[in-house]
Parts: sequence; structure tokens; C-alpha cells
Amino acid sequence: MNYDQAMNRAAAHGEQVVPTVCGMCGPGGPGGGCGIYAFVKDGRFVRVAGMDESPVNRGAVCAKGHAAPQWVYSPDRITHPLRRIGGKGEGRFEKIDWDTALAHIAMTLARQKEQYGPESLALLSPAYRSYSDYLKRFLTVHGSPNYGHSGICAMQRAFAYKYTLGDYPRPDYDLSDLIIYWGRQPIYSGPVARPARAFLAARQRGAEIIAIKPSVEPDVGMADVWVPVRPGTDTALALAMIHVVIREDLIDHAFVEQWCYGFKRLKAHIRDYPPAWGEKVSGVPAQQIEALARKYAATPRAAIDLGNGVEHTPSSNDAIRAVAILMAITGHLDRLGANLFVPPPQAAPRDIALKERYTPEMREKLVGPEFPIEFQPFSEGLSSAYYRILESVLTEKPYPIRGIIAPGTQPLVTTRGSKNVAAALRKLDFYVVADVARTADMPYADIVIPLATSYEVDHPFQMVPGWLMATNRVIDPVGSSKSIFDFFLDLGVAMGYGDDFWQGSMEQALDDQLAPLGLSMADLREKPHGVACAPGKPVYEKFAEAFSRTSPRLEKDPFLPQGKVALYNTTFEAAGFNPLPEWREPPESITGTPELLPEYPLILSDYHTSKNFSASWQRNIPHLREIQPDPMLHIHPEAARSRGIGDRDWVEVKSPHGWLKVRTELYPGIRPDTVMLLHGWWQGCRELDMEDYPLLDGGANVNIMYSVDRNKAYDPIITAMTSQTLVQVKKWEAS
Amino acid sequence: MASSDREYIITFDPGKCTQCHGCEIACKAWRELPHGIQLRRVLNLWHGEYPRTTSSSVALACLHCVDPACAAACPEEAIAKHAENGLVTVDGDLCTGCELCTQACPFGIPRIGADGTMVKCDLCRPADGGDSLPPCVDTCPGRALVLCEIPRQEKQAHQQKLLALLKSGM
Repeated sequence: MNYDQAMNRAAAHGEQVVPTVCGMCGPGGPGGGCGIYAFVKDGRFVRVAGMDESPVNRGAVCAKGHAAPQWVYSPDRITHPLRRIGGKGEGRFEKIDWDTALAHIAMTLARQKEQYGPESLALLSPAYRSYSDYLKRFLTVHGSPNYGHSGICAMQRAFAYKYTLGDYPRPDYDLSDLIIYWGRQPIYSGPVARPARAFLAARQRGAEIIAIKPSVEPDVGMADVWVPVRPGTDTALALAMIHVVIREDLIDHAFVEQWCYGFKRLKAHIRDYPPAWGEKVSGVPAQQIEALARKYAATPRAAIDLGNGVEHTPSSNDAIRAVAILMAITGHLDRLGANLFVPPPQAAPRDIALKERYTPEMREKLVGPEFPIEFQPFSEGLSSAYYRILESVLTEKPYPIRGIIAPGTQPLVTTRGSKNVAAALRKLDFYVVADVARTADMPYADIVIPLATSYEVDHPFQMVPGWLMATNRVIDPVGSSKSIFDFFLDLGVAMGYGDDFWQGSMEQALDDQLAPLGLSMADLREKPHGVACAPGKPVYEKFAEAFSRTSPRLEKDPFLPQGKVALYNTTFEAAGFNPLPEWREPPESITGTPELLPEYPLILSDYHTSKNFSASWQRNIPHLREIQPDPMLHIHPEAARSRGIGDRDWVEVKSPHGWLKVRTELYPGIRPDTVMLLHGWWQGCRELDMEDYPLLDGGANVNIMYSVDRNKAYDPIITAMTSQTLVQVKKWEAS
Repeated sequence: MASSDREYIITFDPGKCTQCHGCEIACKAWRELPHGIQLRRVLNLWHGEYPRTTSSSVALACLHCVDPACAAACPEEAIAKHAENGLVTVDGDLCTGCELCTQACPFGIPRIGADGTMVKCDLCRPADGGDSLPPCVDTCPGRALVLCEIPRQEKQAHQQKLLALLKSGM
């Protein structure tokens, strides 16, 4: 509805209405930042409507957005700061006040800094949000480089793309005749935002849609062609497609000649990857690989939307750069209807992450670099891989992290290797959890900080492509919670870093950020539905500019030393990596470890998005849990039948690393050699009397199922972690 | 106002539904429905055999049928069809919760609510005085749901189309 309708409705029903930004998939995140009207009755947040004026969601709201009040008032809310009084993992706490909590954290961090150096503190990053820069700023002022980036989303694509193409090639959804959604979920990642709308619009105007992934989700159901690839084998598929376009000479010779480096070496290298080999590894029939390659090469207005699905495998970097190479040699870069280089907005808020304070000494102290040291910092700053931070506590190599702050993230269910994570949290000297609701690893915390939701505070502003909007307060904070922004500002002041933290003034911090836009927070708040900014007129073929960009490395080297697309990558070669994309097997797979097949005949992988939950949270929300009450294993009816398994049966899923107890959903739209389930299951729902699941063996936390072997489970350059293994599925027999 | 040969309906276009469940939860939140009661449900339907498997979505609620089977089946005459606007309503004072309506409805729509009487979508007309869009319609990102007033014949065709879609899937 629009502003007037919202006001009228509220007035007619004795309610108040507050225009603000939805907080259910994280405002400021890539899919999020939808405009809403939040309705308040008798001081209570009761429901939301979509804001017609927001260019992001244009009046629509998804299931999660509508369920917001149940999240805000959940019995799982943390309402007071807590201090551990029992053993680690026991979950016994005493209530303390904010000043005591802040003083305790500040004193401990100061002592650890003195004793072990500032790098002994790490911060586990939540998904990228509007608060991320505040977190990085805190670490940098403290002197630590150890921002624990997840190593599971977005930066992997950004890295491979930028070191191959100089930029991130965005699909030209609106003008493509063919869109290939590859390892991508255009709907669940923001169901009412731009990618989902663009998907629907493309379909309605008759563009052909091809979906590449192991199972049929609603987007695949609406596609023209499904390419059922085995999980983790996208690299093989992409290499075989490059083979076809080169063998059949379907390339853009002029572009390759002028703008690509190393074509001859690519041509020689790619002979080893024919479609028959691609079929053997990826499970996609050779004929379908050939047809796909030909169709893409022959359609001038063809775009590829590569998703998070390719970022979970040891050959992830090569999957992404192989796709980038495919775009380049077939002439699909920065042309109408293809993949575009979209310039950054002309005016942007001030970057407050303090990246200018990075030093070579800080960089050397990364405890487990997410990207190799010589590629640091990358776009989001210096970063250690999330899992490697926790691993260092156990291995003490190169040194043990002593203190960890986990704001809005749950290491026991977010990253892989949960058994090692639990051991690390038990051993860790000092652990701070800051969150809205009870988390999986809260029992290990020394101090717990209660965070307010974005419905309870009047900051920050949200800047998403095309829209700038103030967050407005809908209700007062629940209990004595404060925002994540306030927490880091207050902690900064308590640590004696007040000069770098606006002396604790949130208003000054926001005004400082907004200054380059010529706005103050008060100015912005006067605009009830924010400021919409129309996209500029596209300019195509900006090759010279895109291929000459400098990298964020301290040395500021260019991404592309030759000023051309790196088909043959001399930067990777100089750092000791393969200059050409190659295939690397996951730790366990049908073609890589056939000796495991008698015991473990099926491939297991997991989904990272769903229609009703954001990652590993929101299982405690009754409306959302009603849609999907149990952790469901998608299994093809034939694979189930041959094991004597029916629909909705409880089953044991066993890999070489652990076992799960979950329920089956007979799923005609999945490869018969593959089973999949949603990641992030652990939390119960108190309103529905649903208990928590065990976090390790016997529960539904898929992260325990995968290898975390240092030599096999990671992409060697971008630390993408494997989420493929082999399993057996058996009907659960209660003993 | 509806003229005599036209009836209200929320139509559904499967080509515009991404199965986000926004309509389902908008309905639950705006109508304050308890756990277990959904006046609009989003279903996934399977078609074809692997590897040519495909799927479609249906967001299903009471269609206020032209010739409602639920009303015909009700032994208490608790279900009424209103000639002036086409709405099918249930009188909670007369309903005994026998569920014959659920069995009769070709879409399996009626449910028994917390008070033991039948509940179903009422197009949000009485609740909102008819001055704004039903929340399910308002929240749909693809505009797959549309509240409209259409001739009876057209409504019957829409009912048949949805029934055929439901029967075509697994």
C-alpha cells in the first residue's frame, strides 16, 4: 500500500503506522532492504504492509517480512546482558547490567591485547549488512586484521570475477533473450526484490530461461530447460562448455584478439575437457552440454546469473573464472542483453571501515587468510576465513585466537566442521555472543549481549541500489536490548577508542557517513519513503576502463596486469596457482572416491536459502515454522523406494564424518544420485512445543557431514569450503 | 457494487507465482490466525519424469464458487451464497463442524477453526469494510493474485482451470 493508504488504515483502526525498512533478511543485504509500513496497536508491533513507493519491493512483502512481529516478541529473545556462571557449554548465566557487561568485555580485551597482541581478537562476521563496516572499524582500531569472513558467499564470486574480468559482470535481466541461472536461486534470495521480479518479467516477455542446479526449486519449475548438475561439479560443466565453443569455433574473434590474454594457451589446455569427460564428472549428458554451449554462444543477448551454489566446492574459483572466460570468449561482456559492468553510484556514503589504516604488519598477522596474503585486502578489507579462526584455537597455528566476538552469527551452524567448532568454543579463552535471540553457541559465551531488532531503533539508514531510506523506530527496545551499532560504539568508548567512535554518538556517526550525499540523518528521516534514485543510462563496451581497474591490495596492483581478460592468469601463476582453470574433486565424490560408493552411494549437499527461513535463524517463528515444520531430506522417489523408504519417513543419513536424523520428502525434481536438505537446522519453536535438535551427530545440522581436511576441503585460493560428501540413507528404526 | 451477473473472486495466475508464501503469511498475520489454520495455502505441484521434471505453484483459497458444493452439502444450511456479490459465507451459529463441506469442496478448502466451526477465506470484504485490497493480493510480488468482479461464466471457467491444474500435478 502507499503512504496515504497506510495512514488512513491506521487512523481508521486506532493504530499508528511507521514507515521503515524490513529487518527479516537483514537490511542492507543484497536481497534485502524492502520498504514497509509497520503497524502498532496499543504500543505493540502487530503487522506490516509493503511500501508501494520503495523501488526495491514496490508494495510486496514476503513470508518472512510478514512474520516479523513473531520474531520481535519471541520467547527466545535475549532481554538482558548475561555473564556465564556455569561451565562452558552448560548455559548457566547471571543477569548483569550494560555497564558491567561493557566493562567486563573491555577489561578482558585490553588484557588480552597487552598479553598476546591485538591480533588475538577475532570477530566472526555475520552476513554483509549495513553494520559490517562498524564491526571492521572496531577491529582495525583495536589493531587486529582478523575479520572472520564466512568463506561461503559472494566474495568468492567477486574475487574470481575481478581477477579474470576486472569487474563483476551483472546480468542484463531486462534485455536478455536467454538467461542462464547457474547455481542460483533468484526467488528465495529476496522473493519480492529485484532478482525475483526480473526473473518473472523475463519469463513473461518470453526470454528463454535455463536453470543449472541439482534440484528443481520453483524457479526451475518455471524455466524452459533444467540442467541437473551434480553438486560441486559446475567447474567440469563450465570447462566442457569452453571446450565446445572453442572446438566448434563459436567464439568472438575480434573481442578475443583485442581484449583477451592467453587464448592460445587456453585452447591447448581445454582439449583435456571434452563433453564426454564433462558428463562423467557432472552427470549432465554430453549432448546437453553441447546444446547448452551452442545456445549460449549463438544468442547475442544472453546473460549468465551465477549464484552462491558454485561457492561451496574446492574448485570454486575455477568454476567462476571458467564461467567468466565463457562470457568473454563468446562476446557476452558489457553488451546489451549480456553481462554488464555496472559503474558504482556517483555518490555513496563515506566508507567508515578505516581500510586506510591497514599496514603490511597487520596483513602479516592474519591468522587464517581468506585469500592468500598477497591478495589482501580484498573488496571487504582484510579477512581471515571464519572457520580457520576457530581452527586456530585448537591447532594454535600460526597462533591461537584468544578472544572472539560473534555478533549475529552462529558458528556451530553457520560454518562447517561443527564438531571442531564446539571443541574450539570450549577451549577459547573469551567468547562474546551478541544477538537478538538465543543462538546455538550461546551456552559457550562468557558474556551475552542482547541486541535490538531494526524495528526497535532509529538507525541506520539503508542504502540499496536505487533507494536510500532511514530506519525508523517502530517500538521501544524489548528488555534492555540495544542495537548492534550502539554496542560497538559503546564498546569502542569503553576501550578508550572514543575518538574513533564519535564519542559514542550514533547520530554523529550516521551524519558523518551521509555527508558525501549532502544529507543528514534528520533530513533523510523527513522523507517518509526515502529517496529513490533512478539508474543511469547504460553505457556499453567500457572495456578499457573495466580492464584497467586497480585492486584493493595494499600495493594497488591492477586486477588485470595486461589490461585484458585473464584467460591465462599471470597473477595467479606468480602466486603459485594454476594460471588456467582446472578440475579438482571434492573430498568425497562419485568420480573422485569411487571406493566409498559401496558404503556411501549417494551425493549429499545442502541448500543455503529457503522460502521461509533466512540461513540458520527464524526456525523459532511459528508462522514460518508452520510452512516447514521438520528438516526435510529431498530424495528422488526411486532412490527412496529402493531403500524401503516412504514420504515423510524419519531416516538416518550417514557420511564418513557424521550422521543426521531427518525426514524424507519424496522429490521427483532431484537427481536420483543426490540428496539435499536445508542447512541451519537446530532451533526449536517454543510456541509450538518443538524442541531444539542436537547440534552434532543425530541432529539435523548438515555442517557436521562434510570434510574439513585442510588439504582437500577448501578451494586453495579463495577458501570456499566443500558442501558435498557421499552418504547412505536408511529408514530410522527407533532402538 | 456487484451487478447481478458478476461475482467477486481473487483470481490466481500460476505463471506469476514464485511460491514465496507471502500471501499465506500476510493472511495469517492480518487475520490473526492461530497455528494450524491457513485460509490461503501455497502448494507445489510436480509434473513429468526425471530428468524432464518440472513444477508449478498454486496459491489456494476459497474461490466463492458460482455453484458452491459446500453449501449444497451442508445439512444445517449454514453456508450461504450471496446473489448480490457472489460471496459464499458461513454462519458460525448454525455450523456444527461436521466437515461435510470439506469433503464436498473440490479444492478441499474448508477447515475447522478453534471454535469448532468452519473457517475459510471471506475475501476480507466484511473485515475491512471493502476499502482496501486483501493483504494476500496487496503483498504479491508478481501480481499473481487479483481481486476482481467478473461475469459468472468467466468465474466458472477460472474454477475449472484451477481444478485442472491441481489434478495435473502430483
